[in-house]
Amino acid sequence: MEESKVGVYICHCGLNIAGVVNVEEVARYIGTLPNVAVARTYRYMCSDPGQDLVKKDIKELGIDRVVVASCSPRMHELTFRKAVEDGGLNPYLYEHANIREHCSWVHDDRKLATDKAKDLIRAAVKRVHHHEPLVIREIPLNPNVLVIGGGIAGMQAALDIANGQNHVYLVERDPSIGGHMAQLDRTFPTLDCSECILTPKMSDVGHHPFIELMTYSEVEEVSGSIGNFAVKIKKRARYVDESKCIGCGDCEEKCPRRTESEFEMGLCSRGMVYIPFPQAIPNTATLDKREERPCKAACKEACPIHMNVLGYTSLIKEGNFEEAYEVIRRTNPLPSVCGRVCYAPCEQACNRGQFDEHIAIRELKRFAADHEQELGKGKAVPAERTKEERVAIVGSGPAGLSCAYELVRQGYPVTVFEAGPEAGGLLRWAIPEYRLPREMLSNDISYIEGLGAEIKTNTPVKNLSEVFDQGYKAVFLATGADISQKMGIPGENTPGVLHALDFLKQVNFGSKVDLGSKVAVIGGGNAAVDAARVVRRLGVGEVTVVYRRSRDEMPAHPAEVAELEHEGVKIQFLAAPVKVLSENNAVTGIECIRMEMGATDSSGRRRPVPVEGSEFTMDVDNVIMAIGQGVDKSMLPEGLSYTSWGTLDVDPVSLQTNIDGVFAGGDVVSGPADVIAAIAAGKKAACSIDAYLTGEELSVEDDGRVEKLSDEELASIKERFVSRARVRAGKLDLEKRMKDFGEVEGTYSPEEAREEAGRCLAAAVEGCFECGECQAVCEAKAIDFGQEDEVVEVEVGTIIVATGYDQFDPSGIPQYGYKKLDNVLTGLEFERMTCAAGPTEGRIQLKDGRQPESVAIVHCVGSRDQNYHEYCSRVCCMYGLKYAHLAKELASADVYEFYIDMRCFGEGYEEFYKRLSEEGVNFIRGKVARVTDEAQTDEEQGKLIVVSEDTLLGKMIRVPVDMVILCSALEARSDAENVGRIFNINRRADGFFLERHVKLDPVATPTDGIFIAGCCEAPRDIPDTVAQAEATAGKALSLITKGTVTLEAAISTVDEAICHGCGRCEEICAFSAPKVISKNGNLISSVNEALCKGCGSCAVVCPTGAIGVKHFTQEEILAQVSALTEAH
Amino acid sequence: MEVLSPYKEATDVILEAGGEPLKLCYQCGLCTGTCPWNLVRSFLVRRMMHEAQIGATDFGSEDVWTCVTCRACVQRCPRGVEIIDVIRAIRRSVASLGIGVIPDALRISAKNIAGVGNPLGEAPEKRNDWAQELKVKDFAAGTDVLYFPCCVPSYDADVKVVARSTAAIFNKLGIDYGLISTEAKCCGEAIRKAGHEDTFMSLAQNNIELFSKSGVKTAVVASPHCYHTFKNEYPELGANFEVLHVSQYLASLVEQGKLKPSKKIEKKVIYADPCYLGRHNEIYDEPRSVLRSISGLELVEFIDARDQGLCCGGGGGRIWMDTPKGERFSDIRTEQALEKGADVIAVACPYCVLNYRDSVLSMGKGESIQVKDITELVAEAL
Repeated sequence: MEESKVGVYICHCGLNIAGVVNVEEVARYIGTLPNVAVARTYRYMCSDPGQDLVKKDIKELGIDRVVVASCSPRMHELTFRKAVEDGGLNPYLYEHANIREHCSWVHDDRKLATDKAKDLIRAAVKRVHHHEPLVIREIPLNPNVLVIGGGIAGMQAALDIANGQNHVYLVERDPSIGGHMAQLDRTFPTLDCSECILTPKMSDVGHHPFIELMTYSEVEEVSGSIGNFAVKIKKRARYVDESKCIGCGDCEEKCPRRTESEFEMGLCSRGMVYIPFPQAIPNTATLDKREERPCKAACKEACPIHMNVLGYTSLIKEGNFEEAYEVIRRTNPLPSVCGRVCYAPCEQACNRGQFDEHIAIRELKRFAADHEQELGKGKAVPAERTKEERVAIVGSGPAGLSCAYELVRQGYPVTVFEAGPEAGGLLRWAIPEYRLPREMLSNDISYIEGLGAEIKTNTPVKNLSEVFDQGYKAVFLATGADISQKMGIPGENTPGVLHALDFLKQVNFGSKVDLGSKVAVIGGGNAAVDAARVVRRLGVGEVTVVYRRSRDEMPAHPAEVAELEHEGVKIQFLAAPVKVLSENNAVTGIECIRMEMGATDSSGRRRPVPVEGSEFTMDVDNVIMAIGQGVDKSMLPEGLSYTSWGTLDVDPVSLQTNIDGVFAGGDVVSGPADVIAAIAAGKKAACSIDAYLTGEELSVEDDGRVEKLSDEELASIKERFVSRARVRAGKLDLEKRMKDFGEVEGTYSPEEAREEAGRCLAAAVEGCFECGECQAVCEAKAIDFGQEDEVVEVEVGTIIVATGYDQFDPSGIPQYGYKKLDNVLTGLEFERMTCAAGPTEGRIQLKDGRQPESVAIVHCVGSRDQNYHEYCSRVCCMYGLKYAHLAKELASADVYEFYIDMRCFGEGYEEFYKRLSEEGVNFIRGKVARVTDEAQTDEEQGKLIVVSEDTLLGKMIRVPVDMVILCSALEARSDAENVGRIFNINRRADGFFLERHVKLDPVATPTDGIFIAGCCEAPRDIPDTVAQAEATAGKALSLITKGTVTLEAAISTVDEAICHGCGRCEEICAFSAPKVISKNGNLISSVNEALCKGCGSCAVVCPTGAIGVKHFTQEEILAQVSALTEAH
Repeated sequence: MEVLSPYKEATDVILEAGGEPLKLCYQCGLCTGTCPWNLVRSFLVRRMMHEAQIGATDFGSEDVWTCVTCRACVQRCPRGVEIIDVIRAIRRSVASLGIGVIPDALRISAKNIAGVGNPLGEAPEKRNDWAQELKVKDFAAGTDVLYFPCCVPSYDADVKVVARSTAAIFNKLGIDYGLISTEAKCCGEAIRKAGHEDTFMSLAQNNIELFSKSGVKTAVVASPHCYHTFKNEYPELGANFEVLHVSQYLASLVEQGKLKPSKKIEKKVIYADPCYLGRHNEIYDEPRSVLRSISGLELVEFIDARDQGLCCGGGGGRIWMDTPKGERFSDIRTEQALEKGADVIAVACPYCVLNYRDSVLSMGKGESIQVKDITELVAEAL
């Protein structure tokens, strides 16, 4: 290599270097080295005259390479490169020797330090000899900016940048922007309301044309480098269509599941679909769905009125019985009735049945209803009357009552006309009292009356036009199907042959019914079973049910059949009566014939056919026919049209009859069916009548599908859940049953109910379990359970990280009693309490609702303590003073402020401290040792006692107070490590992000183009946070204004002749600069110069030595190393 | 008016005696608030630190000798000040420079230790007499384990049962163990805390040489105080043997299935963590697992157990000093145990045995509650 002419400049750095290193001796020595044209010393090389020395020598002495020996290259390498360039040389023909940080500052032996400086500079001279001119290039900078974190720092930075008409992506993890500042009540020292100063900014951010707000989102990956970052952002599904949601909050009101509100620090709850606080931006609900529901909620779909079974079972599981009852009440007009006599299609469908046993849904419903009745709760609040159109309902059975219930709740004046002496229809006079105590039925009916429905008994309706004349605008006919059908066999009219409904009615109304000692009941339905069981209770020893099909076809509820047999009733299957035998006009028996199951008939059931010659007789004294009921046309007004079955003919959708404004439903339309079907019909009619009266179109909702679990789903349930038998409620002893009509089925204890409800698969879900209540109530149709997380890619030139802090959890200091003792609060909890919009509406209160008379404020909880955080959290003294003021102002409490040192350093802070002293706060200097509720004196009884040394008095003190506020430390976010990894930001030992230079580059990070602001860097107050945010905006804007990024020239290069494309460079590179490509049929590595940072990792892993880094070539480094190791 | 001037020499004396950590103290007073003495009387640890910082220490004060070195304050100190080191430095200054008054009781014990190698002033050759009827062999090179029972169980008539129970257990399990010759002396832990550094050094050197000469590889000790100094202080002076507290050793035997107490002890037992086993060396679980291995035994806990446990009052040389009635921590602890309905206070330290037995007797509660070392309970259950 040719000779070079090196100029060497040794800096005194005042006495920083020259105080230890004999710089003149070093210069004399360096001057003797080969290639060194000149070696000078100067007091401050970084000063203009110092730099001019270099420029002058380049011009006048013709030096072609420069070495400056001074401080760290991090400080001034660029300064001198610039000077070299200004002097007319390529800036890379420069080498920097660090003789300050690496030498003078770390040594005190003058001789050795001088020798070391000589070595370092000699090595630099040897190295600079090999330097080659490199080309510096510039690429355009993407003017878009990404801001992470929607707290005050992120919002401020975003606004500053966007106001300069640059596009900002603002990514916030929570559902709303606002951060911790939104949770604060007032801000020190001015005591202005935090919300009042924050919400205008939030609104600006929300509406800014240059800010694209991405809430409930998180950055997953960042690639690229300054000027051109590519960022992947995961937008978490909020299961609410942001474009449709209007933020009305109806969904949250109806949500049956609740959890602690994060925003309110757990002082109150929120729904699983929620808006975190009223001023949230965006004002959009978020649905907190954390996992898929393991079952299909078949219960809800199978229920004819689609009760929110998931909702109330999960509330019962949590012991929240009152709310469970409310959820039941929302859809079910007759909970006490349904909790007893509903045949519970939900239970048949329950998906848990596929696993072990279905949930006892009916029992749980009954439990909730009974529990509220027992507590004397569950009373109706009269519904507000908002409509004028009066509605007449004819018949007070379940269909009529349900229709009344719904219409009254919608604001209609409703009158129910009942022909009989009491309301309830079949529920009252057909269902035996041992299944449905009359008191329970009356409870449900009173509730409906309590809502405002008028029930007129003993008032049959014969003439519809009279009804309309009285001013009613619509009529609902729900008169039931209550005449017993006849068999049409000989002897059927013999005295002693009874019809089931007549029989039950007589019994239920207390008439005496004479029966013999043997009774046959004909039929296999519920009426037959009821009749037979009633007969047993009337003291008849031998009761036989005769049914023409087999057990499997029996329409009665299997559980009822089981009880029937348990009570000693026999069943003759596959037998049908052909004649009633009698003597002296009294029944003596029945002649029956054996049946066998024949071909399937039109109803899909196999038809029983008689077996010829199989006749037999049974000796009985009475026969009760329970073979079916029909509609009693004589009880209905004239002019209506009927089906061929003898039921009313109505429009299947609107339930309107052939007469305008007259609707009908229940058994009178369907023929005999069960209670829940009648309730469903009544509710459907209510919708239809409302549509009719308002003139709106009747919206028809699809009935959902009852789904079963697939084999895979069942398998995963078997893995996750332990099989548990259903909890069974007690039953009345057989002996007692026969004595009177006492209720047979018992109910759960609260513990049993919670246990049984705990079996519900859906109740095991954390978060939303898609009960659909919100979907039903959302008028905007914004709820979308099918939404999925979405990954969005954006390109930006600069990134600002403002991810904030976590509050230290003081339960880590057990002596302070947090979470163990009532009324020990953290700062943020107290903030929410004093906030007028908070859960207590600004009232400072104790657990029992009283206002505290005395409050202790404990400083340095988790701060200034090496057992937790060694640093000072900077804001606690001030917010502690603020709490003292609020406790005095809002609760007139005595305040004791326990501090170690008061740190009131900002503008107006010391004055605030003085003001609080004037307000009469008691300042006690001492770190609190413990907070206890163990009283030693009467005065301490019922108080929290704060124990500390008063270090100024030199005495231990015990201060009894009502409330203790712990000034909890600010700590790094729990996921700061992960965020640091994504953005390539280092952290300090305390967990916060590390700035590039604590004094001179406080918002930059070691990664160019990525800046940090606010509490993610260290604890700080709002003014400092805002200033930092503005600083980051300034940094970003200066880059945007410049518009280009200077690329590092000292980057990797590939010797294509040696490279064989193994790809290790590609694997190791943190900046994705090298890529293996195919060139002329060969695989080789190619380096993207815009991405390469010149870190050299690739050169280290390259097995062939094909990849190297410019300015750090093997030659250069070896020259430097050999100079350091040679003897001199 | 009395005006105080900082007296740098006093501070220097304390710093030189090992009080360096006091520089870190920022006077928050948490030590005072944590110190158990303030349950019964005033003892301002923080003020002692501050006096030492500015050279205002009253070397003649009774409070120089008050600290029981229970480590409750050190454990919570926000600056990590080794407060015990500072207290020890103040005591050293008094003991070595004669600038204060050493309490009589302590002086006698110190004299005994320096003279005959045990605080009780008993004849050295009688050190192993407790084992006479138990056929315990002398330790020789190759013996698996050395059992070192501490001076109190070796000599004190009421506490010998601890050593004897341990020997009974070891005999029954066929453990290869022996006793060191009667040249052995007090471990010196407590006298060192009481400021007698020279005495400690000579004891330590004697024991280290003896153990080394005898070929001790593993020593099982009865006292957490022996454990502490063997484990943490002797190695700096050249010791090289493994040390286990008897509770650790027994717990490992339980875990290996070698120790299976067969008899039931149907009693409610409350365990009092010794400071030098717990806070000083973080051994909390082993004594409990030994107690749990006894069937029928119901283990209950004090309200402030484990690292929050209250000292018996016997550390830091206080075992030799008189603590007036009304100021004894073991009385408070006994009350707490009675409130919990315990039948037995289980301890794992000879000093605790002494203090708790004293408390139970002087409180007249001998009928309601007993004090037993965990080795006694295990021996009963074998």
